[in-house]
Amino acid sequence: MIRIAAVGDVHLDEDVVGRFRPALEELPGCADVLLLAGDLTRHGTESEARCVAQEFGNLGVPVIAVLGNHDHQCDQVPQVVKVLEDVGITVLEGTGTVVECAGGRLGVAGVKGFGGGFAGRCASDFGEPEMKSFVRTTNESAEALAEALRGLECDLLVALTHYSPVPDTLAGEPLEIYPFLGCYQLGQAIDAAPTALALHGHAHHGTERGTTPGGVRVRNVAHPVIKQAYSIFHLGDHLVG
Amino acid sequence: MTEEHGGAPPDEYVEAEIHRLLAEDPAVAEQGITVVHRERGLVLYGEVESPHRREEILRRVAERFPDLPITSDIGVIRAQAPTQAEELP
Repeated sequence: MIRIAAVGDVHLDEDVVGRFRPALEELPGCADVLLLAGDLTRHGTESEARCVAQEFGNLGVPVIAVLGNHDHQCDQVPQVVKVLEDVGITVLEGTGTVVECAGGRLGVAGVKGFGGGFAGRCASDFGEPEMKSFVRTTNESAEALAEALRGLECDLLVALTHYSPVPDTLAGEPLEIYPFLGCYQLGQAIDAAPTALALHGHAHHGTERGTTPGGVRVRNVAHPVIKQAYSIFHLGDHLVG
Repeated sequence: MTEEHGGAPPDEYVEAEIHRLLAEDPAVAEQGITVVHRERGLVLYGEVESPHRREEILRRVAERFPDLPITSDIGVIRAQAPTQAEELP
C-alpha cells in the first residue's frame, strides 16, 4: 500500500506560517509523501515562497508540488521554484518524479494546468489572437501532462494539477466560472495513461470527489474544501508492502 | 430603463466591483469570497487562511463603500491533522 497526503490552495504568507506545522509534523507516521496542488502563496513572491519553504520544508517525507495561478501573479516563478527546491521540495511543471515508498514506486506527474471548460461547453482555438492563445495554453499544458504521465516507470501513477480535469469536483461553484476552473483536456491526458488517482485544487467552493470519463478517481484537495491540513489516500492494495 | 440618474450605482455593479476588488487588491487577493444581497445590505461569505485576512477584507470593502451596510460571515479554515484516511482500493 502507498499512503499519499495532499493539500492545495494554502495561500501562505507570514500571517499563516505555523498554522499547518503541528499537523505536518505527524506526516512521517501516516504518509509516504505529501503532494501540494498549487496556490502555495498569495501573490507568488519570493518572500511568500520562503514562508512555504519554512512551513513545508524538512518534513521527513518527500514533498512534491505544482504551482497555481496565484503563484504566477508577481512573475517571480523562477525565484519561487528555487526557494522551494532549496529546501528539497520537488516542483513539477510538465515533468514527473518517482518516489521509492515501502509499498512500491509512486510516480507523480504534474502540471499547473489551465482553464478552458469541459466537453460541449469549452473555449475553441478560433477567432481573436487572445482567444487562440488562451486555448493553446490549455492544449499545451494538457499535452505536457500526458507526456509526463507516459514517461514514468512506476507501480502506481498519480496526476497532480492545480486546475481541475473534470467538472464533477467543481460542484458548488457557479456554472458560469467552470471554464476558468479547469478543462477536459487535462482529463483526457489522465485517461490516456494508467493513472490511479488525479489530485487538484483551485476550486474553493467545489467538492471532494469525482471521476474522469475513463473512470480515474479525482479528488479536489483545495484547503477550503477538505477543511483540514491535508487529506490522506491509501492506494495500491495489490502492491507488496 | 429607470428614471433615476446619478446617485448610487445598481447593486449588481457594486457586487461586481467588490468581487474584483477582493481578487485584484494585492492586500486581499481572495477569489473565494461570495457577495450576497440580503435585506439589510450585502453579506460576504467564504473562508480564508487567517483572522488577519478576514479583517483586511472587511476593512478594504468598507473603505471603498463607506455608505454601504456590509456584514461578514467569513470563516478561518481549520488546519488540524486528519483523523481518517480514504481507502482507494
